[in-house]
Parts: sequence; structure tokens; C-alpha cells
Amino acid sequence: MVNEKVLIKGNYAIAQAAVNAGCQCYFGYPITPQTEIGEYLSGKMQELGRGYVCAESELAAINMVMGAVSTGVKAMTSSSSCAVALMQEALSYAASDELPVVLVNVMRTGPGLGYIYPAQGDYNQAVYGGGNGDYKIIVLAPSTVQECIDLTYRAFYLAQKYRNPVILLADGLLGQMMEPASFGEYPYPEVDVSSWALTGAKNRDARSIYSVAREEKKQIQHIYDLHKKFDVITQNETTFEEFNIEDADIILTVFGSMTRNIKAAMNVLRKKGLKVGVFRPITLSPFPHKRINELASRGKDFIVVEMNMGQMFKDVKFAVEGKVNVDLVNRPCGEWLSVEEIVSSVEKIVEGRKQYAASV
Amino acid sequence: MQQVFSIPKSMKKDFKYTFCPGCDHGIAIRLVAEVIDELGIREDIISSTSVGCSVFLYDFLDIDCVEAPHGRALASATGVKRARPDKFVFTYSGDGDFASIGLAESMHTALRGECISSICINNTTYGMTGGQLGPTTLLGQKTTTSPTGRNVDYYGYPIKIAEHIALCDGTAYSARVALDTIPHINQAKQAIKKAFQVQLDGLGFGFVEILSSCPTNWHMTPEDAHKRVREEMIPVFPLGVFKEVSKDGN
Repeated sequence: MVNEKVLIKGNYAIAQAAVNAGCQCYFGYPITPQTEIGEYLSGKMQELGRGYVCAESELAAINMVMGAVSTGVKAMTSSSSCAVALMQEALSYAASDELPVVLVNVMRTGPGLGYIYPAQGDYNQAVYGGGNGDYKIIVLAPSTVQECIDLTYRAFYLAQKYRNPVILLADGLLGQMMEPASFGEYPYPEVDVSSWALTGAKNRDARSIYSVAREEKKQIQHIYDLHKKFDVITQNETTFEEFNIEDADIILTVFGSMTRNIKAAMNVLRKKGLKVGVFRPITLSPFPHKRINELASRGKDFIVVEMNMGQMFKDVKFAVEGKVNVDLVNRPCGEWLSVEEIVSSVEKIVEGRKQYAASV
Repeated sequence: MQQVFSIPKSMKKDFKYTFCPGCDHGIAIRLVAEVIDELGIREDIISSTSVGCSVFLYDFLDIDCVEAPHGRALASATGVKRARPDKFVFTYSGDGDFASIGLAESMHTALRGECISSICINNTTYGMTGGQLGPTTLLGQKTTTSPTGRNVDYYGYPIKIAEHIALCDGTAYSARVALDTIPHINQAKQAIKKAFQVQLDGLGFGFVEILSSCPTNWHMTPEDAHKRVREEMIPVFPLGVFKEVSKDGN
């Protein structure tokens, strides 16, 4: 009955999807609003004879994941915002070591300890990273509980396929809400890890996985290679969703659970005579720069709607290369922007643009 | 003619000696290699490496290694062991990695009783960065960050690592050894072997703290450095076995 719909909370959906994906080890430390993931898996992993550790810190948790995945198994940790900040060093190492770490961030409010209100303030932390050096992480942003499942599957697959860390960037709203969803079967093939996984140097040369390169030329080449790999990831794996794009003059651009009432806002605005469409990156990294630039070339203006102070906003501005207007509708955290708020903000922006056009 | 001495089989064939003259890392790594040979476990090993002079372990040993950030070797090793309980997992760190930046990871690995073996080189200083005050720097010891000597008011006390690890219920073996004399070197090898054996026997965490010299940063000849180990370090960090759990549970 794998296709049966169940009513399930986002955090539990992510946890069970990890089990289905073949996650052999989970390591984590509690923090609201993602604690249910670790709670659920504590019993589940023991029952299945898989690995589980209540880690002493997030630092330890993600380093346990690095150790586990270096042996070729799938493993993950989950956390939230200020505690994901503690994992940034490890993400830099994991990217350089090409270790398939999977990290779930169920975002809360920052900066600092902040609070447990939902927010989207970790876009920069996830996409640009807080670790040192030139590295890139794959970032997937679900908007529904169903997508929490689908993208958890995809996170494990992409991590091993490209030997690159993957962040599933959810938020407190998704983590805590219940919604009907179905698990289905894990839809991806198993990736062959035998060429690099550490299993003991039996009948082959010893292997070392490390980021330290004492020779300058090797270090330079390593960074070029990592970025070449990410070019391939960008080419193959960039995904997004569009609604009513073709005739749209204005494209509302959103990610994650902010998508949930953007379609309603779009419909209200369309009824009011504004040709509005919606564009939603599913991969925040690689970001769909190319597609946004194509749409900008066709004269479509952008309005970015997000629950932070304008983080994805900058990427959209960068992508349109100054060809069209890009505006921001936002709130830093807390209650999600309502349909009414989005509609009135968009109307104000449109009116402002009209007045500006008339004045020049 | 009978050959009585050779390079351990677990050493890489083409390694270059990169430590300073007189450094005890060379002896310690050789002892680890001999123990690996004697236990016949080379092909089953996955080691999590540390940061500091000890990182060069993977230049010398012909084994699978995964890098861990500074202080996180025991967390990484825990991940390896939980993923592959059938493999032999050990770490080789300095006192800074194991007992300063990584103290939480080290203690909790011992408390969980992970079947992992750990070697910690205690040379009372941060060697790779040029001799700064570390967690085991002796009272009165001059370093580049304690120019007038370690005093309690400014710097607090050095940590007795092996005794702390012995207090953890998950620890199966904890000992402190030194490399300043031939008998001590022989004892050190036996301690490493026991710390490895408790893992093979599934008894818990195996630990050896090795008092080592750092002639370069101590500004001493190798001979004087070993004299310092004997006369200044051992009185503060006594040699001995602080915990040993045997197979029959005692």
C-alpha cells in the first residue's frame, strides 16, 4: 500500500522518507521545530538494526554523518537554523571531501537564537554557506508535505550521484503541519559507490578522503574540479515550477512553503485584471538563473515574495541582469504573508511603477 | 643471516619522513603499525584522522582514512563505526585535537562506549602552529602564548586525559605511556595493543595517552627533550593503566 495517502506531519514525512531511501544512520541533536525527526527515527532505526546516535552536539552530529557516508552508506542529520550554523565548518569539509552528506534544515527565526516562528531566513546560509572557501551545496526547497517526501528521496540520490552535500531546506510551518501525502517507492536507482567508499584496504590500494592539499597546483585543480562538477549539476539538476507564465507581465517568485498561498494571490490578482504568473525554484542551488533570465528577456517583471529581508531577491536581481524590474514583498519571520497582504503589496508596486513610468 | 628488524608491513612503501628530527610521532606511528601487523587487521581498518602534526598518519600507514575537521575525529570515527560495525576504527590525535577542541567528542565517545580505539599524543604544546599553550601545557612551561610560563591565574590547569577517560563508564581500557626509554617504548606498544584488543573483543572504548617529545618547540635536543619527559612530565602525568575491563567482565 505504498501509494496510499496518509495524513502526516512534515517532520515525520521527512523521517520516514529517509528510512525508505535506505538511510542507514541518523545522528542528531534536538532543536525545535525539527525534533520530531530525531524522535521518530530513534525508535525506527533501532527496530531496523540501523545506526542512531543522540549526538552530544550538532558539531558532532554532522561529523558522524561524514564518517558514516565515507564508508558508502546513506546517512543524514537534521537540525534548525542557529544549530545548522554550527554545521557550516563540516559542510565546507564535506563539499571539499566530496562526501554525500544529507542535512535537513527545518528553519526557525534568526539571527541568533531567535525563536521557533517559521521563517525563510536561512536562504543565504544554505545557498551561499557559512563555511570557508569556494564550495557549493545542493539545496532543495519543498513547499508541501508531499514534496518533503519527494525531495528527501532526491536529496539522498543527488548526494551520492554527485558526491556532494545536499541540504533539504524546509521550515517550521512545513515541519509542524499535517497534510495528506503518499510515500510511494524510493524512485531512484542505487548509486555505485565502490570506486571511492572506504571499506578497508583489502585487495586494493589504501584510500584517503581529505581536503588538505599541500601542493599548490593540486589545491587549485581541486577547486576547479569541484566547480566543474557543479556546472554539470546545474546543467542536469536545476528544477523549478511555473504557473501562468506565458501571458504574465509580472512573475511572483517564491520558494518553499511561501508557495502555498501565492497561487491564491495570483488568482485574486488575475481577477483584478493583472496578468500575474508564479515562478518557484525547487533547487535553490543550483539556482535557475538561466530560466529567469529568459523570462526577463521577454520583458516580464519580477516580484519576489519571501519570509526574510530579501535573500532570494538578490539572486533574482542578479539573474535578470537589469533587464526588468525586480521588487520585494516580505516580512522577516512569524505569521506567513497572507493572500490579502500579498495582493495589496503587489498592487502598490504596480501602481508605483505606473506613476514612475508616467513621470519620466 | 637472520633478519631481526624491518619496516612494518602496514607502513606505506614510499613514505617520506616529514616530522622534525627527534619527534616522537615517528616512534608512535611505527608502534601503531607493528600492532596492526601483529593483530592482522590492516585490511579491515578505517581511520578517522585529526588535525595537527598527527594528521600525517595517512602519509605513513597503508590504510583507509577519512579526514575529520580539528577536534572532530572521534565524532567521525563514531559515524564510521555505526555505519560499519564490522570494521576496525581508530583515531590518532594530538592533545589539542583530542582534549581541547575535541574534548566533548572524545569524552562522549568514551561515555557511549563506542568500540573505537584512540591514541592521543601528549607533547604539552601545539606543535604544528609553532608551540603555543595547549590543554596539557605544564604549570611554569613557557610557550609562545605563555611567554612567562603557565600560571594558574591566567591559564588554569593542565588536563590529565587518561584519568578523565578512565572515569567514563564506556571505557574498556585507558592508559598513559611514554616513549623516553626502550622499556617505556615496549610498554607503550603493549598498551596500544590492549587498546586495540578491547575493540576487537567488543568491550568498549580503548584509549592510550602517549607522553611525547617536541624538541623543535621545546627548543631542546632530542636527548634533553626525553629527559624533560622523564623529569617534568611523568611526575605530573603518571604512567600507568587507569582502567582495564577484561573479557570476563572484571
